[in-house]
Parts: sequence; structure tokens; C-alpha cells
Amino acid sequence: MAAARSMSTGLAPRTLLLAHHGTSGAEQAAALALSLAVPGHTRIVHLYVVPDFWEGMQGDDWLNNAWTRDAFGRHVEGQLEADAREQISSVAERCAGQGIECTPLLRYGKPAECLLAAARECGAELVVIGPPRPKGTLGLRSRMDLDQLARGLAVPFMVATAR
Amino acid sequence: MVYTHKSPALLVIGIVMLAWGWLNQSGTADGLQAWLHPGAYKEQKQAVEKHQAAEKAAADKAVAEGKPAPEAKALKPGKFDDVKRGQANFATIFGGLFTAIGLLILLMKPKEGHLDYYISIFPGMAFILSIAFVVRWGLDPMFANWGKAALPTLGWDFAKILNLNYVVLGIVIGMVVVNVFRIPGWAANGVRTARFFLKTGVVLLGTLYSAAELAQLGALSVVMIGIFVLGSVWLVLLAGPRMGASNSMTGVLSSGVGVCGVSAAVAASPVVNAKAVDIAFTLGTILLWGVLCMFIFPTIGHLLGMGPVQFGAWAGTGILNSAQVAGAALAFDPHGIQTLKVAEIFNITRVLFLPIIVVWLAAWYVKREAGAQKVDLSQVLIAKFPVFVLGFLGLFILSTLGVFAPAGHYQGKYFSSEQVKEDKLLKEKDLAALQAALPKVTAPADNKALQDLIAARKVSTRDQDVLLRGVAKMEGLDKGAKDALGNAHKAAWHDSKIIKAYRDWIAWLFAFGLTGLGMQITVASIKQAGGKPLIIGSVVGLIKAVGSLIVVLLFVREFI
Repeated sequence: MAAARSMSTGLAPRTLLLAHHGTSGAEQAAALALSLAVPGHTRIVHLYVVPDFWEGMQGDDWLNNAWTRDAFGRHVEGQLEADAREQISSVAERCAGQGIECTPLLRYGKPAECLLAAARECGAELVVIGPPRPKGTLGLRSRMDLDQLARGLAVPFMVATAR
Repeated sequence: MVYTHKSPALLVIGIVMLAWGWLNQSGTADGLQAWLHPGAYKEQKQAVEKHQAAEKAAADKAVAEGKPAPEAKALKPGKFDDVKRGQANFATIFGGLFTAIGLLILLMKPKEGHLDYYISIFPGMAFILSIAFVVRWGLDPMFANWGKAALPTLGWDFAKILNLNYVVLGIVIGMVVVNVFRIPGWAANGVRTARFFLKTGVVLLGTLYSAAELAQLGALSVVMIGIFVLGSVWLVLLAGPRMGASNSMTGVLSSGVGVCGVSAAVAASPVVNAKAVDIAFTLGTILLWGVLCMFIFPTIGHLLGMGPVQFGAWAGTGILNSAQVAGAALAFDPHGIQTLKVAEIFNITRVLFLPIIVVWLAAWYVKREAGAQKVDLSQVLIAKFPVFVLGFLGLFILSTLGVFAPAGHYQGKYFSSEQVKEDKLLKEKDLAALQAALPKVTAPADNKALQDLIAARKVSTRDQDVLLRGVAKMEGLDKGAKDALGNAHKAAWHDSKIIKAYRDWIAWLFAFGLTGLGMQITVASIKQAGGKPLIIGSVVGLIKAVGSLIVVLLFVREFI
């Protein structure tokens, strides 16, 4: 029985941790993860990280009153939540389309730290991330620390190739 | 949620402050203080020697005349004593308070509630205050001494030109703490009180203006802010769509770049439904510009020989972010409050423009964006009104009514002949220097003010004093005339003790608030500067900074 499953699933992981937040690199990672996953065998854990630089994004606003700051806080949270929902449902739909189980995981902090913690929590057997954003490409500056991942991860991780 | 961290940090800070208070009180720290304040120490030493010599001479004279020795007179405290006493009092009061609350934190079992929340802010406040103490009492005089020591070698005072004073150093240390070490958990809640103390500083500033000053500075700020705020908002609204920026990005950027930086972007973001990425790019751009300007503006101001009014007007108009306006003003003029007074009037005017700009942007956005939700204009105007400005105005009114200063303090009572003693009247050599300077003063009003001064040997009215302070700043005036004008001003102008105390407290409140604000400026946020907001914001920010500098240099006289 075990031998038969091993034949059909090959080296496919049972739990694959995918770091994805909607950039073109993350799309590459999603495509790679889906190509490695085996329906009925692999569960993709979709990690979406809200970077912690947002903490410093309203820090020195000292002229406004509490009402205005609260309104801004709610607005930013709403926007970040909407972005997260959009990405989570997008990955979930693609997984469902291939019959692959998908579990979303939303975290706030530094991307590499969140990924290391998530890999431990979900018992990932493989971690898939996107390639670093090419220099000069527009985007938020919150990059995955590859060195930290290489030293901290106890499981293999794959970096999708850039297009 | 329980906010108070059971940590000995507050107790340790309190004990260290108490120890510093005791070291100053007992004279144990005299060696260190003499090194930090060599000028004051030298004066003190000379005064003591002079006093002892006088005492000895009096005693010798009494002995020679066969009289009993005269009673020893106490030496009046000098500047060096004032420094030590000030530090001892401050450190003892706050050290005692923090030690008591630090013990309470260790002994009590915190429970959810208001008490827990209020107690949780003290460790962070003590953390900021301890940094402010080190910077203001230690690093500030140390760098000033080094700057003077290096002057013969370098040919310029690097500490002055690079503004290495307590304000800039406090902000820099705050930024280092948050970006390199992170703010400790026990201090996090208290660090957020920085904005409250900054606002308190602005409210207290209300005590320092005369009605004439406020009217003239207010009018100047309305004109300059009106032109540059409305101009830069309009410029961004024009450039944004042409450069392909979305309406929400253009809206949030125009408020941030045009009005008062982060505060305006925060106020406008919900109104123009700004996306997260728009907010990140815009706030990053504003913070980057704000921090750069805070360091560059004072240096340019010193190099151009600007005075308090010119620099305050320039910083208050040209620096994108309002928090950095206060920082730049105090960095430029750390030991006086004149520049801050001018800059804050501009800041207040900016923030009063904010509700109007938000309404404008709301209307602009609704017009351009199909399906955008209409905004209740009256609600926006009320919600965005800066309530603390009412506090500022309240204190200004109380001050003008004479509550904090002797009656007539601002009406020129001290210019009357009864108040200026004979020995304070201008001497012959002063009058000769002023006579020689008379032909150089071509403006009729200034010339008349100078003639009146020569005739009366004293400043007779406040308006005359204001004019003559402007004359003293004229280029080409010789030192003798400038000194004479300075003496005439000093003889006529007096500050009440309460006002002096307010001035000192205001400097502390801003030092505290700006150090705390430094702890909220993260490199991670600044790094988000990018995209179209960086390009448009940089162009408009530069136009605003250079344009306001030109206007100030051309049209703003040094003294209002």
C-alpha cells in the first residue's frame, strides 16, 4: 500500500508551504507549487505576510486628532485585508481547480521570520518561494531574506525561476 | 489586555536619575560639569576668587581700623551653579517619580483597566526623558565644545554648521534606537506619548506671542502657506494624472506634499480611498524628504546667514512634513525659541488649511472617480479641525491679558522712562556709533526710529524696538552700532520669570517629543519611497523648498 502511494506521488510533499503575496515572482512560485503538488496527497499552505513596515507608516503623525488617526488606521487595515483576501482567494481557487487542498495562513511581521515560523507550525516538507524581484522593478521594499531562510529552514526550499 | 510590563527598567532609570541629582547637589559631579561647561566654570571660578579677595580686603580693613570683622556676604549663584541646580532639581523630581512608580510596577499585580494603562506609559516616558537628559546635558555641550576647539583648525564650527545640538542628536538617537535596537516592550506604550507632549509644547507656545507678533506672523504665514500649499496641491493634481498616477494616489500625494506631510496624507487617505501601496509610496516619500530637509535646511540657513523670522518662515513653508518643521527650527536655533515661534505659526496655519484641502480633494476625487462615495463636508471640517489650536489661542489670550506676565508686559511698559535706569541709558560712545551709522539706514521709518533712539538715549516704544532689531541685522553696520542697538534693546526689554520658565519647559517638551518622534521614524518606512509619488513628490517638494527660500530671502524682513 505504502509502496503504491510512493509510486504515484513520487517525491511530492504532503505539506507544501507556498509564500505568495501577489507579485509576479509570487505567481511563479504558485505555478511551481501547483506543478509539484499531487491532488489528494499534497496540502498547500498559502502563507501571506503583511510586512511589519506598516507599523512605522503612521508614526510621526502628530497634528491629527485621535478620530482622524483611527479613521486612517481602519482604512489601512481595510485595504491590507482586502489585498490579502484577494490573493488568498486567488490561490485557493487555483488549488481547487486542480483538486489540491489549500490552507491559508495570514501573518504579520518580517517575511523570512514569518516563513520560518509557519514552516515549523504546519510541518512543511517543502517550501516554495518566488525569485527576488529584479532590480529597478517597482514594488514595496520588504524582501525575503534568503540567507536567513537557508540557515533557518529544516526542510528543503525551492526558489522559482524568474520569467 | 494588560499593558504594564513587569520590568525593573523604570526603577533603574529612576535610581540613576536620583543618583545624578545627588551628584550635582553634592558637588561630586563638578569635575565633569566643569569639562562640559568650561566657560561657565571659568566665570564661576573668577567670581569666587573676586568675592574671596573682596571679603579678605574688607576683613583686613576692619582689622586695620580696629573694628569687628564684617559679616561674610553670600556669593550670588552664577551660571555654573544654575546649570548644576537645574540638573539636580530636574533629575531629583523625575527620578523620585520614576522610582516610586517603578517600585509600584514591581510590587503590584497589574489588572486590566485605566490604572494599568496609565501606569504602562511611564517606563516609555522615562526612557525618552533619560535620552533627552543625556543629549541635552551631555552631548549638546560636548559637541559645542568640540566645535569651538576645532574652529582654528577647520576654520568653521562643525557643531554649529552641522547642527549637532540636543534636538538633532535626540532625533538621531531616537532613530538609531528604533532601527538598530528596537524599542523595548516595556517602553512601547510610553513612546507613543511623544505626540501629546509636542502638542502640549505648541499649546504652551501660545504664551510667548504678543498680539502684534501673532497678527503679523499670522498674516505672513497665511500668504505664504496659501500660495505654496494651494500651489503644490494644484501642481500634484495637475502632474499626477498626466504621469499616469491613479486618482487615489494623486489625491493622497497632493495632500501630503502640499499641506503638512504625513498628517495630511493620514487625513486624506480614507477620503480618496487610497490603496495600501499608494499610502506606502507616499508616506515613504514624505518621510524621506522630511528627514533630509530637517538636516539640510538648518545648515543652509546658517550658511545664508538667515535670522529666526526668515528661517522659521522658510522651514514652516518648505519642509514637507510638519513634525520635521519643529525639528529643523529647533536645530537651527536650539537655545532660543524665536525660530520655533515663527515656524510653529506656519505649522498651525498649515494644519488649519488641512480641512479645506481635504474637502477640496474629496470633491476632486468624487468628480473623477465613478462610484466614489460622497463625503459629508461638514463632518470632514469638524473632524479634521485641530482642537489643540484652540488651546494655543486660549493661552495666547490669557497671556495677552497679563495672566502669566506683569501687566503691560507686551504693551511696552518697560520702555517707559521710569523703568529704564540712568546707568542703562546709552553712553556717549554708543551715541557716536549710532550717529555714524545713521546715513547707512536709508528706510525712512528705520531712520526715524534710530534718530529717536539717539535723542532719547533709550528705546521708547515696542514698535521702535521691533524696527531697531531689524536695523541691527543690516549688513554693513559696524560692530559699535550693533552693540549699541543691542544694549538699547536689553535695557528696555524684560521677560517675566514665568515666561522664562515657560520657554524652558517648551524647549524640554519639544526635546522630549522630537526624541520620541525619532523613535517612530523607521528606515523600513522610508525605504518604501518609490514609484510615481517619489518622482512627483520630489519635483514638487524641491520647487516648494527652493521657491519659498527665494520668496523669504527677497520679501521677508528679519524682524517682524
